[in-house]
Amino acid sequence: MADRSLRSRRNGNGKGPERYSAWGLLRKGLAQENWPRAWREVPLRDTYDAVIIGGGVHGLATAYYLAVNHGITNVAVVDKAYIGSGGSGRNTAIVRSNYLTPEGVAFYDRSLELYNSMASDLNINVMFSERGHLTLAHNDGAVRTMRWRAEVNKLQNIDSSVIGPDEIKKLVPSLDTTSDARYPIMGALYHPPGGIIRHDAVVWGYARAADHYGVEIHQKTEVLDILVEGGSGPDGKGPGGKVTGVRTSKGDISAPIVVNCTAGWASLIASMAGIKLPIHTRPLQAAVTEPVKVFLPAVVVSGSLHVYVSQTDRGELVFGAAVDPFNNYNIAGSLDFTEGLAGHILELMPGVSKMRLLRQWAGLCDMTPDYSPVMGFTPVEGFLCDVGWGTYGFKAGPVSGETMAECIATNQTPKLIAPFALDRFPEGTLVGEKGAASVGH
Amino acid sequence: MSTSRLSARSGEVIDRTKTVPFTWNGRSLSGYDGDTIGSALLANNVRIVSRSMKYHRPRSYMSMDYWDPNALLQVGDEPNVRSAHRRLESGMDVSAQNVWPSVDRDIKAANGLVGRFLTAGFYYKTFINPQRLWPLYEKVLATFAPGGKVDLDTPHGYYDKRYAHPDVVVAGGGPAGMAAAISAAEAGASVMLVEHEYGLGGHLRWGDDSDRAIVAEMSQRLIDLGVEVLVDSTVTGRYDDNWISIAQRSHPGVIERLIKARAKILVVAAGLIERPYVFSGNDKPGVMLSGGVRRLVNMYGVRPGSRAVVLTANESGDQAAADLEAAGVSVVELVDARNGGGVTAVEGSPSQVESVTLADGSTREADLLVTAVGWTAPTSLLNMSGDRPSYDASAARFFPSAPPDTVLATGGMVGDGTLDELVGHGTATGQLAAARAAVTAYRLQSTTARALPVDGPEPDWPSDQRAPLAHRQHPELYRSSTHGMVDFSEDVSSKDLVAAAAEGFDSVELLKRFTTATMGPSQGKLETVNTVAVLAEARGETIEQVGTTVWRPPYAPISLGGLAGRIFEPVRRSPMQDWHEAHGATPLVAGAWIRPDHYGDAAEEVRNTRRNVGIIDVSPLGKLDLQGPDVPQLLNLLYTNKWSKLPVGGVRYGIMCAEDGVVLDDGVTGRLSDNRYLMTTTSSGAASVWEWAENWLQTERPSWKVDVTPVTGAYASINVAGPKSRELIGRLAPELDLDPERFKYMQVRTATVAGVDNCVVWRIGFTGELSYEVHVPAGYALHLWLQLMEQGLDLGVAPFGIEAQRIMRLEKGHFIVGQDTDGLTKAPSTGMGALIKMDKEDFVGKPELAWELENSDPDVLKRRPAVVALQTLDPQIVPEEASQLVRGTTTEIIGRITSSRMSPTLGRSICLGQIEQQYADAGNIVTILLTDGRRIEAEVQAHHAHYDPEGERLRG
Repeated sequence: MADRSLRSRRNGNGKGPERYSAWGLLRKGLAQENWPRAWREVPLRDTYDAVIIGGGVHGLATAYYLAVNHGITNVAVVDKAYIGSGGSGRNTAIVRSNYLTPEGVAFYDRSLELYNSMASDLNINVMFSERGHLTLAHNDGAVRTMRWRAEVNKLQNIDSSVIGPDEIKKLVPSLDTTSDARYPIMGALYHPPGGIIRHDAVVWGYARAADHYGVEIHQKTEVLDILVEGGSGPDGKGPGGKVTGVRTSKGDISAPIVVNCTAGWASLIASMAGIKLPIHTRPLQAAVTEPVKVFLPAVVVSGSLHVYVSQTDRGELVFGAAVDPFNNYNIAGSLDFTEGLAGHILELMPGVSKMRLLRQWAGLCDMTPDYSPVMGFTPVEGFLCDVGWGTYGFKAGPVSGETMAECIATNQTPKLIAPFALDRFPEGTLVGEKGAASVGH
Repeated sequence: MSTSRLSARSGEVIDRTKTVPFTWNGRSLSGYDGDTIGSALLANNVRIVSRSMKYHRPRSYMSMDYWDPNALLQVGDEPNVRSAHRRLESGMDVSAQNVWPSVDRDIKAANGLVGRFLTAGFYYKTFINPQRLWPLYEKVLATFAPGGKVDLDTPHGYYDKRYAHPDVVVAGGGPAGMAAAISAAEAGASVMLVEHEYGLGGHLRWGDDSDRAIVAEMSQRLIDLGVEVLVDSTVTGRYDDNWISIAQRSHPGVIERLIKARAKILVVAAGLIERPYVFSGNDKPGVMLSGGVRRLVNMYGVRPGSRAVVLTANESGDQAAADLEAAGVSVVELVDARNGGGVTAVEGSPSQVESVTLADGSTREADLLVTAVGWTAPTSLLNMSGDRPSYDASAARFFPSAPPDTVLATGGMVGDGTLDELVGHGTATGQLAAARAAVTAYRLQSTTARALPVDGPEPDWPSDQRAPLAHRQHPELYRSSTHGMVDFSEDVSSKDLVAAAAEGFDSVELLKRFTTATMGPSQGKLETVNTVAVLAEARGETIEQVGTTVWRPPYAPISLGGLAGRIFEPVRRSPMQDWHEAHGATPLVAGAWIRPDHYGDAAEEVRNTRRNVGIIDVSPLGKLDLQGPDVPQLLNLLYTNKWSKLPVGGVRYGIMCAEDGVVLDDGVTGRLSDNRYLMTTTSSGAASVWEWAENWLQTERPSWKVDVTPVTGAYASINVAGPKSRELIGRLAPELDLDPERFKYMQVRTATVAGVDNCVVWRIGFTGELSYEVHVPAGYALHLWLQLMEQGLDLGVAPFGIEAQRIMRLEKGHFIVGQDTDGLTKAPSTGMGALIKMDKEDFVGKPELAWELENSDPDVLKRRPAVVALQTLDPQIVPEEASQLVRGTTTEIIGRITSSRMSPTLGRSICLGQIEQQYADAGNIVTILLTDGRRIEAEVQAHHAHYDPEGERLRG
C-alpha cells in the first residue's frame, strides 16, 4: 500500500500544504498571518477521469484514496450544497466495530483502524475520543444477544465483552442501574475501542488532503442528470449502458467513471443512470442539549429504549434514536421525537431532567432490505455506487473510500466489499447484520 | 463604577416593599420582588457574573433579556439559568459557572494572553502528534467545557403536558401580538397568546407612562374577551400542520408544562432582537445594548453606570440616552450613526470600560457604552414553517419572505411604524387569522361525521389584504473598523471568522461548523446576522448573496423534564400477579408485562409439574379473535401451513414468515365455531402480529371479510399441566367432556370452568405434559386460579413460573422465536419443514422460500443454519447461552448455543442451538467454545425433544 503520509508528498507546484501543528500555530500567531485555503476554489472543467457525486465523508475519502493509493488525481467531487452538508455532518459521530457478522466486523474494524491513524495520515486533529461504547440490555433476551455479539467479537479479536450492572455503574455513574427501574439495566456489551469523533473534521481532513493531491472539490454544484449511452432502458440508460458523464448546474462534464456517493438521494441519483436501487429513504433524528460540565464518560446505547447518547468535549449531550418508521424526505424533525427521547433518557439517567434541549435536526438514511450497503459496480459500465448506508455510514467512511478507490482503480471488486454488491438482491445472498440490528449505533 | 438602585421609577416592575433574600457564590444578598436574578445582582453592585468560554474574559450583562449571552448561571441544581430573564425567588442559591477558583479571579484568563494562537479551529491543527497523548489533551480540553453542573441526584420533579386546540396561537405579546389576539378573539376565534417574558407589552414595558397605559388597556381587553394568556411561556416549535409546542414555565406547581396545540392559524409576533456591534473591546463589561439599558433603568430601577457614551442609529438608542439622563447618568457623548458618527473601540481594564474611542480618533472617558445599531428578526418559527428570510439592505435586517398561508407574521419582524401602525397591522393580522381559522373549522366540520351538518356553503379562503408595514431606513452597522467579538458565548471574534473564511470555510454553514459561531446557548439569535455580515465582507459579497442559516427547533431551549412530562411507561400485570408476588414469586420484567419468574425453586416446580400438576399464568400470550368468512384465507396467507380444512373444535400450530422468509412468530390457532377463530401469538409478538394481520387486510386484501380483535387483555390464560391435570380440570368443569378420545390433543372447547362461562379450554402444551390451557374472562381469572389451587390441593398442585416453563419447553425441544431463531432464520431452518406447504397457492414468504429451494447451490445450502438439539458429552456442564460452536480446534464459527439449561427431569444439561446444515446430522460431535474459553464437545441429537420425543405424555 502506498505511503499515505502527507509528509512525503508534494503536489503539482512542488509545495505541500502547510502542515498543521502547534509550532505552526505559534508561528502564525506571532506573524499574525492566516493559514492558506484548506482546499482550492477552481472553475469546473468539462472533463475528468472520474466524477464523484457527494462531498461527504464517503465521496471525499474515495477521492483521497484514489489519489494517494492509486495516483488517480484528475477527479472532481461535486456536491449540491457544501461539503459535509448531508449525513456526514448530521450523524452523531459514533464509531465502533463490534458488529455481529464476520463481514461487518472485518469491514468496520478496518474503518476503526483508519480512524485511529487519521489524525497523522491527514494531518488534522479529528479528535477521536476512544471512550468506550456500551450497549445496554434491559432483559435476559437482550443479555443473550449481547453475549452472542461479544462471543463473535472475541473470535474476531475485537475487544468487546458483557459486563454487569455494578461495572456499568462504575463506568457511567449517571445511569440508573437499580433493579426497580422500569427497564432495569441487566447488563451491557462493553466495547472499549468505540468512541466519538469530530465528524466535520473528518470531512475537512479528507477534503484538504484530496485537494492537495489535485482533486477538485466543487461545492454548490448540483447533479441534474447522468449521461449514459447504449443502455437497455429509455434514453439509452439502464443496464448494458456505459456512462459518459454528468450534467450539473454548472455545466456538463464528460467522465468515464461516475461514482454515486450520496445519501438520502442515492436512489434518485441512480435512477438518473437508469438503475433502480432497493432503497427506502427515512429520516433519522438527533438532538443536542446545552453544554454542562462533563459527566458522561462513555457512549451509551439502549436498544429497548431506542436511544443513544454521548457527551461532547464541549459538554453537550448528543442524542440519537431509531430511524423514523416511515419513508420521508423531510428533515425538519418532529416534536414527538423529542418527547419520546426525553422520556427515555430520563428512564436511563433520571438526574438530567433540568438539562435543556438546544437543537434538533434530522438526516436522511437510505435503508436497504438487509441493513447493509450497496457498493461497487452496477449494470451501467462506469457507474459505481457507494450508497445504502442506512444509519451507520459515517463509521464506514474511511474504509469505504479506500475500497471504492481500489474498485475504481483496479476495475475489480475488493474482497472486503464483495458481500455488498448490488447483485446480491437478485441472487439472494443478503448480508446478515439485520440479525443484530436493534438501534444501529 | 457603581451600579446601584435608583429612586423609584414610574414604570418599575419591582415591589420595593418586599425584599427577596438569595445567595451569590455563597454570599447573602437581597433584591426586590419582581427583580430578575440579573437586576438583583447588578443592584448589589455585582457586575462580573460569568467568564467567557475560551479566554475566560470577565463578562457582565449586555441585553438584560433571555438572550443575554453572558448571563448563564447555576441556580441550585439547575444549570444554565438565564439570569437576565429568570425572576428572583427567595432563597435562590445562585453561583457563577465555568470559573476557577472564582468569577473575579479566574486562572484560565491566562488563555487571553495567548489568544492570538488560539484562533478558531486551532484544535484541529494541534494535538495531532503524538496521538497517544490526545486522550490526555482531551481531558484538559474537557475542563474548558462551558455550562453549569448537573446534579445527578436531581429528582424528577413534577412536569406535565396538555393538549390544546385553539383556533389561533399568537406567539409574542408585544403591541402587535396583543392587537392580533384581541381582533381574532373579537371575530370569534379561540385564541392563545403566548409571551416569552413575565409580562405583556414587549418594548412598551420599558417605555413611558402612556405606553404602559396602552398595555394595561389592551391587557384588560384580552381578559374581557377570555383570551388565554400565557406569560413566561415560549412557543418553542412549529411542526407540520401547525402542531405547536409551547413551554409554559408559569403554571402553578409545575416546573415546566409542555402544551401541544393544534392551531388552525399561527400568528408570529416575535418582535425584534437587538443586535450587538462588533468592535474592539465590545465584550468588555460596561458595553450594553440600548434595550438592556432601558430595561435596567426603567423596569428595575438600577443604574448601569455613571458616565455613558451612547452610539445610536435608531429610536431605541435615542430613548436610552434620554432614560440615562433622566436617571442621573451623564451622557458624555451621543454618537449618532445616522449622521456618520461611529465608535471604534473601548479601552479599560479587563473587567471595566474606562474610555471609548470614536471614529474620529478622539476618546471619551466613560464607564458605559450603549449601542443601538439595529435589529434581528427572530424568524425561527417561520423557518420551521419552511420560510427563508430575505435581506433588505436599506433597512439593515432580514424579513420574512413567504410563510405558508396558515402562518402569519406581524409586528416589528415584518416592518416598522408608529405604535398605531404596529397595532393596526396586528389587528388586521388577527382578523385575517380568525377568518382563515373559520374556513379551516368549516372544512374540518364538513369532513367529519357530526350530529349536525354545517351551515351554508364553504366560505372562500380569505386573501391577505393587510397593508404592509414600511421598512424604515437604517444604516448597515455590523462591524466597525476594528475587530471584536461576534459570538460572545463561544468567544468567536470577527478576526476568527475572517481567518476561517480565508482558509476556505467561506460558506455560512461551513464557517459556523468550523468556528462554532452561532452554535452556543442562544443559537445565533444575537450572532447569526453579524456572522453573515463579517463573512460577506470577507468574501466581498453582499449579505443577501451569502444568505443565512436555518434556525431549527426549539426557539428557546426546553428542559428534558418538560419534554418528557410525567414519565409514562405503564406496565401490564395479569389479574393474578399480586397473588404471585404474595406467594413468593420473583417478578420478571418481560416487555410490557411483569411476570412471575419462579416461586423460589424452579427445578422443584418442574419436578412437581412432571409428577403431579402445575399451573402457570400465561396471560401475556397474544390472543386475536378472528371472525368472518375469509378467516381461513387469512390464516393460509399468514401461516406457512394449510388451514382450509380445520374443523370446528380443531387446533393447529403454525409458523409465520415475513416476506423474506424469516420466521416472524408462531403459535396455535383454534376454530371455536363456523366463523370464529382464536389465534394465539408469542407474548412479545402480540402487538406486532395484530399490526401484521391488519396490514395485510387493510392494504393488500381489503376485500376479505375478517374482523380482527385483539383480546390479549380480555382473557387471562392459565395453563394446567401434568399427569393430574385432567383430574383437576374435571373437578372444575364437570360438564366438559374430557374423555381423551373425544377431547384430543390439539383440540379446543368453549366451556364453563369454575362457574365462569365462556372460557376457552385448549388441549395444547408447551411443557410436554398432558395439559389444558384455559382462557378465562380476565375479571374471573383470580377466582379460577384460586379454585385451581384449592381443588388441586390433594393432587399436589403448585404454581410454576417462567423459568420452569422455559426448562420444560427446552426438555421438550420447542424453540422460541427470537431466542432460538434470529432476524435471519428462515422457516426451513427451524426443522419444521413439514409445516411449510410449498404447494399452497400463496403465503407470506413463499416466493422467497421457493426461490431459495430452486436456486441455491449446495455450497450455500450446506452453510444454512439449522436449529438442532445438542447434549454435552459431559452432562454436568451447562454451556452459557450464546456460546459459539466452532469447527474442530479452529476459531471458525459454525453455529451457537441458543438455549441451555440443566434438566431436572433428565439430570443432565440440554441445549438447543443453531448450526450449519453440514454439521447438523444426528450423532455428529461438535465443539462448543465456552464463554470462559474452554472447549467441550457435544452431540447433535436426532430430535429437538430431549424428553419424551414420541409425545406419549402429551397425548395421553
